[in-house]
Amino acid sequence: MNEQHIASAYDRDLEAIQALIIKMGGLVEAAILDGTEALATRDVELAERVRKGDKAVDELEERVNEEAARTIALRAPVSQDLRIILSVLKLAGSLERVGDYAKNIAKRTSVLAEMRPISGTETTLRRMARDVQNMLKDTLDAFIARDEKLAHDVILRDLDVDQMYNALFREFLTFMMEDPRNITACMHLHFIAKNIERMGDLVTNMAEQVVYITTGVRPEDNRPKSDTTAFVTAVD
Amino acid sequence: MVSPKGDKTMNDMRLIERAVDMNDIKISARNVQVYYGATHAIKDVNVDIADKTVTAFIGPSGCGKSTFLRSLNRMNDTIDICRVEGDILIDGQDIYNPNIDPVQLRAKVGMVFQKPNPFPKSIYDNVAYGPKIHGLAKNKAELDEIVEKSLRRGAIWDEVKDRLNAPGTGLSGGQQQRLCIARAVATEPEILLMDEPCSALDPIATAQVEELIDELRSQYSVVIVTHSMQQAARVSQKTAFFHLGNLVEYGETGKIFTNPEDPRTESYISGRIG
Repeated sequence: MNEQHIASAYDRDLEAIQALIIKMGGLVEAAILDGTEALATRDVELAERVRKGDKAVDELEERVNEEAARTIALRAPVSQDLRIILSVLKLAGSLERVGDYAKNIAKRTSVLAEMRPISGTETTLRRMARDVQNMLKDTLDAFIARDEKLAHDVILRDLDVDQMYNALFREFLTFMMEDPRNITACMHLHFIAKNIERMGDLVTNMAEQVVYITTGVRPEDNRPKSDTTAFVTAVD
Repeated sequence: MVSPKGDKTMNDMRLIERAVDMNDIKISARNVQVYYGATHAIKDVNVDIADKTVTAFIGPSGCGKSTFLRSLNRMNDTIDICRVEGDILIDGQDIYNPNIDPVQLRAKVGMVFQKPNPFPKSIYDNVAYGPKIHGLAKNKAELDEIVEKSLRRGAIWDEVKDRLNAPGTGLSGGQQQRLCIARAVATEPEILLMDEPCSALDPIATAQVEELIDELRSQYSVVIVTHSMQQAARVSQKTAFFHLGNLVEYGETGKIFTNPEDPRTESYISGRIG
């Protein structure tokens, strides 16, 4: 297939809209890292910056929606062009949600900074966040390079994030049972862990979307799932 | 309020409408080659065209789509240097068999052209001409009936019923084209070939002709050549993409326009150089 349209302005439209996704992705990656960095270092100012930064992500999502609608109306995209347009809408939606989760982490960080630290868990949260940020980075790379293999790789990596979440879930339960004064902090930390786990799911969806752009077929939903906390009744 | 069950039924209805019965083949082409002198215009085309289906031929200029369309009712016979090889079967019968009368064939396989070309006669006579020479009407009353039925099928009856004796050439472009479609269906054809039927029409007239094509589908096998890919996407159930005389890809229209198999199809439909 030829790479370029006869109407070069069409190419510029498509490139511009994809550049918006990459820009959004960059901001969201930074928010994930900064959010958990602020949590680990109890940096309330950094947390505040993350909260404020989410506005830019929301605005970019709006622009992606507008540009996508415009391209559909004016260019009537077909085939891979159509898949790109359908996908950028979903990618922007997912990125906006990931951004919201990062913002929520920052909000909770401001509260947690006033409390007694729960030893060790912040490091795990940071590692989890770094994994998710790497997944997001690779997803965006796969999106630009139309690299189906890399996207599949990301989809499999969500398993590690889920497993870290399971481990943290049990840890928080233990801390809360040990000392009821830990409950407030642990509840906040648990929401943060859950937020990161959800980010991983959203990034996985994004990677699936990249496979769809590249191949025209959605990947089969046979990846291993391992968030088992829904079945937890009591800690042994 | 629409019940979820109601929605489902409606969706199913749409799916049934779109479905093409590929067991009901009207036209079958096998190893078809068309030459204009030394030029090899159609290269080994094999295709099965279903009955009660709109099939669109798309492709860049000079790709052979019109040539192939014209070989389906032997319009190419009129061109001296043109030579057709291979088999084209309609209802299992080889149309290039010497026993076949091309005039009878063309009554069975109607054609509508790019530019509306009504005869310089009245609206009535334009439609009545075919049935008359093929002896389809025993008397004036029967002929009247055929004319009315054809004009209704051409979705133009209401606009011309009060001026059937006015010249056909006095109608607007869109009306002329629908008159030509009415004329084509007057001889009760089984197949309707359309070579860019809307390229000389404005968007409203185009929409009217497209609506008509969709209605005709219930009775005929319609084959349409079009430069407008959006038109192919709108009106057809099956799409064939021609390129440099080859049939590159043939499949369900939705599939061709969302996820074609061949990179050349993708290049062409998405407006990249093919």
